[in-house]
Amino acid sequence: MEEPRIGVYICWCGTNIAKMVDVEQVTEQVSKLPHVVVSKNYKYMCSDPGQELIACDIQEHKLNRIVVAACSPRIHELTFRRALEKAGLNAYLFEMANIREQDSWVHDNREEATRKAIELVAASISRVKYHEPLDKRSVTINPATLVIGGGVAGMSAALEVANAGREVYLVEKSDRLGGLVNHLDLTYPYLYDAGSMLETLLRRTLNHPHIKVFCDTTVEKVDGFIGNFTTTILTENQQPVTLTFGNIIVSTGLKPFDASRVGEYGYGRLPDVLTSVEFEDMLRSGQILTRSGKPPQNIAIIHCVGSRNTEFHEYCSRTCCQVALKFANQIRTLLPDSNIFDLYADMRAFGKGCEELYTETSRKNITFMMFDQQKEMPQIIRSIDPADPHMLIFFREKISGLGLEVPADLIILMVGMEAHEDVKDVAHAVGISVCGNQFFIEKHPKLDPVATTTAGVYIVGNCQGPKGIPDAISQAKAAAARVLATINQGSVFVEVTTAQVNEAICCGCQTCILVCPYSAIHFDQNKRVSVVNEVLCKGCGTCGSTCPTGAIRSKHFTDQQILSQIAGLMEMTLKIN
Amino acid sequence: MKEETVQKPKLKLAVYWGAACGGCCVSVLDVHEKLLDVIAAADLVFWPIALDTKYKDVEAMPDKYIDVTLYNGAVRNSENEHIAKLLRKKSKVLVAYGSCAHLGGIPGLANFTTKEAIFKRVYETSESTVNPDKILPQTHFEVDEGILELPEFYNDVRSLNQVVDVDYYLPGCPPQSERLLEVFMLIATGATLPPPGSVVGASEKTQCDECKRVKTENKKVKRFYRPIDIKDDGVTCFLEQGVICMGPATRAGCGVRCIEGNAPCRGCYGPAEAVIDPGAKMLSAIATMIDSNDEKEIEKAVETIDDPAGTFYRFSLPASILRRALV
Repeated sequence: MEEPRIGVYICWCGTNIAKMVDVEQVTEQVSKLPHVVVSKNYKYMCSDPGQELIACDIQEHKLNRIVVAACSPRIHELTFRRALEKAGLNAYLFEMANIREQDSWVHDNREEATRKAIELVAASISRVKYHEPLDKRSVTINPATLVIGGGVAGMSAALEVANAGREVYLVEKSDRLGGLVNHLDLTYPYLYDAGSMLETLLRRTLNHPHIKVFCDTTVEKVDGFIGNFTTTILTENQQPVTLTFGNIIVSTGLKPFDASRVGEYGYGRLPDVLTSVEFEDMLRSGQILTRSGKPPQNIAIIHCVGSRNTEFHEYCSRTCCQVALKFANQIRTLLPDSNIFDLYADMRAFGKGCEELYTETSRKNITFMMFDQQKEMPQIIRSIDPADPHMLIFFREKISGLGLEVPADLIILMVGMEAHEDVKDVAHAVGISVCGNQFFIEKHPKLDPVATTTAGVYIVGNCQGPKGIPDAISQAKAAAARVLATINQGSVFVEVTTAQVNEAICCGCQTCILVCPYSAIHFDQNKRVSVVNEVLCKGCGTCGSTCPTGAIRSKHFTDQQILSQIAGLMEMTLKIN
Repeated sequence: MKEETVQKPKLKLAVYWGAACGGCCVSVLDVHEKLLDVIAAADLVFWPIALDTKYKDVEAMPDKYIDVTLYNGAVRNSENEHIAKLLRKKSKVLVAYGSCAHLGGIPGLANFTTKEAIFKRVYETSESTVNPDKILPQTHFEVDEGILELPEFYNDVRSLNQVVDVDYYLPGCPPQSERLLEVFMLIATGATLPPPGSVVGASEKTQCDECKRVKTENKKVKRFYRPIDIKDDGVTCFLEQGVICMGPATRAGCGVRCIEGNAPCRGCYGPAEAVIDPGAKMLSAIATMIDSNDEKEIEKAVETIDDPAGTFYRFSLPASILRRALV
């Protein structure tokens, strides 16, 4: 190994770090460590002059390792890696110490925070000595795209990609495209006709020369990796078809919550208790009628059915409040003399035009009342009086604390949305993860919201989390842009910090195959060793830590690198205490 | 150079035991009639188990006088340390012989406790002890004839390389006598030796590489068993039967003797070439084998591992990253 010549740079991050950490003292202390040639601090290391400082020192002092102590590597590791590359140094001869999120932001004692910063920087210095240059690798991109799920999000994504002249395979599990929007009468907040919007999308999708639609079809298993995926599907007439494609957009949506799970509401037992989905169908028929065929006089809408309640789903389904307001408007139009009661747990009419819809609705003689969703659920019972109204809702109004009875001939349950039963099969097929709520997990909630940790696989629409049509379509178009960008480039760089098997040491125990979350390892029966597909590998390190023989080496996270980081930390701790 | 041109002199060989059970010295004798070949090629200048050589005789030897010293046993007291340093000075090549010198070995498990606790148990509370005055070993004791001296018992057990520089490691509890012979003959015939610091008389690969049992991807168990708890089928990988076998993290070289005898590997040959801490490695591997995602169930499965510390660090505690328990 060449003699390490390390440059260390301590960032002030304006006052973010400098206020709580004595950056001068850190600079001074770490400059005494072995192999440190340059130790400096600067107001904003991520700024152009900050990066320039590193580049100049690399030239002037022949530095071959760089440590920057600043924010989280999630924010600026790439920035500094690029700065190294520009200066002619391999990007991986770099290590970042996080003295902001893990230090200055979370402590209130300047002396201790400074000491911690010194320890963290010492650890990085100790580690960077063992860093090795890693080469970038790229794979070519097959320009076709697979879209799984043909709701409005899936169709929008497909159209956006196809309009750029690229082939799209759109696979839909049910017998028709359109998803949940098939049930909608009007959309909120402007009360436009959902059917005509859907019709336009359907016509464009089905007639598009670059989109091939497969209904009644599921994707069981996808092989390959970004740029080079392949799957075999069974078409509706049971014909196997093999598709190859470079990117995948998952838009499998969500399904309505099963209202019969909420015992208090009697759904399934009481004929005039409907779900919001059933009520949409009723609205599309043009008439609001009870089961006995009469127009109802008293109509109640209950919010948050299955949502925002730890017994069912803790999350908010985001669309139900607005749909409830839409219903109230539609009912008022169709039945001007009816009594409309809106029982909400919390009115969440957020979004463009939605608060306005709430204000407008509240002027239409509709009784809004609040209940406690977590502590005291309303109860629906059959009225003893056989005449209408034949149902009563008992509940405690939250603001006044009064126990109230609401008469109802028709009750609409605003059901939330939840994952399909087969969500894990889809996740497994394409190699992505689901969160505790069974929604697919995005790569980064803010910085990369439609990508996943599996390169070339994107998630759009409700399957990523409940949302309305505009948000779903925005995501679809965002993912399409990402896909088109990779197709346009023709190739993409893939992870280089992957795992590697030393075949001379591997004993063939196959423990690694069991733990790999990306199915990136297979067993070579001839050589009796495990083999890592480095394109599929994400460098998570699970196999490396589990490998009992030490045959698997996680590049950039070798045992030596990690242990020397710990040793550097401990030695400095002993030294300054 | 001059000497070599005249006649190749006989090698001077020393064998010493530190904190050891004596098994390593016996393994040297286990070369049986081949001992005659050894004697033909070497003079044994110091071997406390077999020869009446005194420490002062060793002290009188010139530096680098001994060609090869096989030091077995861990360093547990001041006597072990003193002789280790003395032999280092007097030897051209110092070999850490056997698991205890290599990694700390079975005596190294004492690092899970302290000197104080050991003395209390041995000299006060053990069922066979009668010591009402609670007299503990002293390093110095004055009698009429003068001062009696005993080595100081240290709090920590150390491997040989934690005390002096070691040239080679010959692992095993005890090392296979065949391996010893091979290594000795290499030295005696003047073959090129591997770089200092190497493990000799063993493979770079692991036990599994030589083990003939059937291994599959199916390493999923609901609980773990001691070998006596199950009827071993003699064919399936021990781990897949829920029996903890240190084979995957352990260097090959013994000829998979335990496994061939239907007993799981206990890890005496120490970490494979690429493994830093075999106990930690095996723990990680074992953790992935538990066939459950339920925390309670996992806890129950883990509880079925009898003496985990002693199982995973049976031979390697002092040389591991853990080194000792903080008590």
